[in-house]
Amino acid sequence: MNQLLYANFSRLKKDIFFRIGVLFLFAMGILMPLSLFSNMKKYGYPIPLESGYCFYVLFMAIFSSVFCSLFIGTEYNDGTMRNKLIAGHSRIAVYFSFLIVSITAVFLMCLAYLVSSLCTGIPLLGFFSDAAFPVVLGHVGAIFILAVAFTAICTAVAMLCQNKATTATVCILGVFLLLFLGVYIHARLEEPEYYETYYLEAEEAIEENTSLTPNPSYISGTKRQVYEFLHDFLPGNQAVQLSSLSAVHLWKMSFYSLLIAVAATGTGIYIFYRENIN
Amino acid sequence: MDYVLTANAIGKSYKRFHALKNLSMHVPKGAIYGFVGKNGSGKTTLIRLICGLQNPTSGSYALYGTEHTEKAIRKVRKRIGAVVETPSIYLHMTAEENLKEQYRMLGLPSFDGIDGILKLAGLEHTGKKKAKHFSLGMRQRLGIAIALCGSPDFLILDEPTNGLDPQGIIEMRELILKLNKERQITFLISSHILDELSRLATHYGFIDSGHIVKEISAAELDHVCRKCLCLEVSDIRAFALTAERMGLEYHILSDTRAEVFSKTTVTQFVMPLAEAGCEVLSIHEREESLESYYMSLIGGKINESTVIR
Repeated sequence: MNQLLYANFSRLKKDIFFRIGVLFLFAMGILMPLSLFSNMKKYGYPIPLESGYCFYVLFMAIFSSVFCSLFIGTEYNDGTMRNKLIAGHSRIAVYFSFLIVSITAVFLMCLAYLVSSLCTGIPLLGFFSDAAFPVVLGHVGAIFILAVAFTAICTAVAMLCQNKATTATVCILGVFLLLFLGVYIHARLEEPEYYETYYLEAEEAIEENTSLTPNPSYISGTKRQVYEFLHDFLPGNQAVQLSSLSAVHLWKMSFYSLLIAVAATGTGIYIFYRENIN
Repeated sequence: MDYVLTANAIGKSYKRFHALKNLSMHVPKGAIYGFVGKNGSGKTTLIRLICGLQNPTSGSYALYGTEHTEKAIRKVRKRIGAVVETPSIYLHMTAEENLKEQYRMLGLPSFDGIDGILKLAGLEHTGKKKAKHFSLGMRQRLGIAIALCGSPDFLILDEPTNGLDPQGIIEMRELILKLNKERQITFLISSHILDELSRLATHYGFIDSGHIVKEISAAELDHVCRKCLCLEVSDIRAFALTAERMGLEYHILSDTRAEVFSKTTVTQFVMPLAEAGCEVLSIHEREESLESYYMSLIGGKINESTVIR
């Protein structure tokens, strides 16, 4: 296992997609506070550092799918996965070595953002407000755990699919699908129960009246409970909530992320152990 | 005899397709074992099983006496190297980087042997050229170089000369012979280029439709394939008596057919037979090649030389 980790980490150092991911998120970390600072100057009102701070979670999800599918896909594409098995390494060790390296790579991408955004943001916008600091800290922690879930899913797909192009397509499309589903469910849950209807009565004097009209798009009952569960459970939904710093059930979400990671890895190892490698 | 690999009634099925059926084979230590069979006969499937990439559906195999189901097989696998189908190399890395990666993966303490392996494989001058820019022959050699990391004593090569030009084929052959002689590495080479294989192999295993049809050493094959006169005679007893009297090496095939292996002219042999009252109905010379032997084994046409009547 140590030998596999050593070999995979040395490959990671030279991996072009890992470098691109780190550089991209590092650049994002600089551009986000700069953009906020520019808006602050333009409109003349203070913008705190925490606004939009966790938006990088969406890029983390996309980059984890790109990185895992290409890093592990190369092993099948170039046939080097065979070398590891021929050399007598167990399939479980091979699987875990890729999972650990992939999680580390995605963590490093996230760290690149955090470091650059803090270094740029604090001098321009000041530190987080006292009230926001624990919220941001909680969200950043949940993002790291969510990164484990995303990476575990993508690693499972990449380890079980022996075609690099198919792996990349499935992983990237899958992550986008999860994110779109997240946005959709988020939007449905945000629908108000009632509309406020304004109307004017002009008999003797003009009078302004309001009344509450039920919103037909509002989800209620069991369906709402299912949507709320999915909103906390699905990685794409978690990413949407975390990106807007609006997640309420952080502990529950992190527990679900770990559950997903364990389930994906368990299933991945079970199938990979029995898989015929070409 | 010490065997590096013994396969015992191995079977491998993919859903309803049986790729290997009851296959048994024996690769002696120090041999260059030519694994001969047509496309789809199950050569690569067997190699994948031996390399641990797939598991047999039935039967078992042993490497250096260790059964594939034993835990110790993982340690034994460190003694083997393989190039299965295409060379397993990182295309975005140089030859040296590829070898370093393999060294790390094998847990070798230093990169000391890399220069030697590169030189042995004829890749010492590739410098910073990435493997994706290598020719097919260079990639094959790099594949073998990677398989040589960790000093294995059993190398499995699946179609090593596939797609190589004549120069590449010669270089590959010389490399295999060199490794076999100098490092006593046992080889299992699958191929359907029989002429090329006949220049290398010390043992052969012929596979057809997923099972071994015949295992034979090169010496035995030479013996079987040597030049002979095939005769059809009217009296086989008279033929035998005459051949015995003349001190000829012969082999009776049926009541009317026989083969004579000793060097003799037709006249020298036919005259005494006529005197003994044995009529020669037909006579022809036969020299079997590996190709014709293989074809006769799997039920194809046998190439025979000119028939004299």
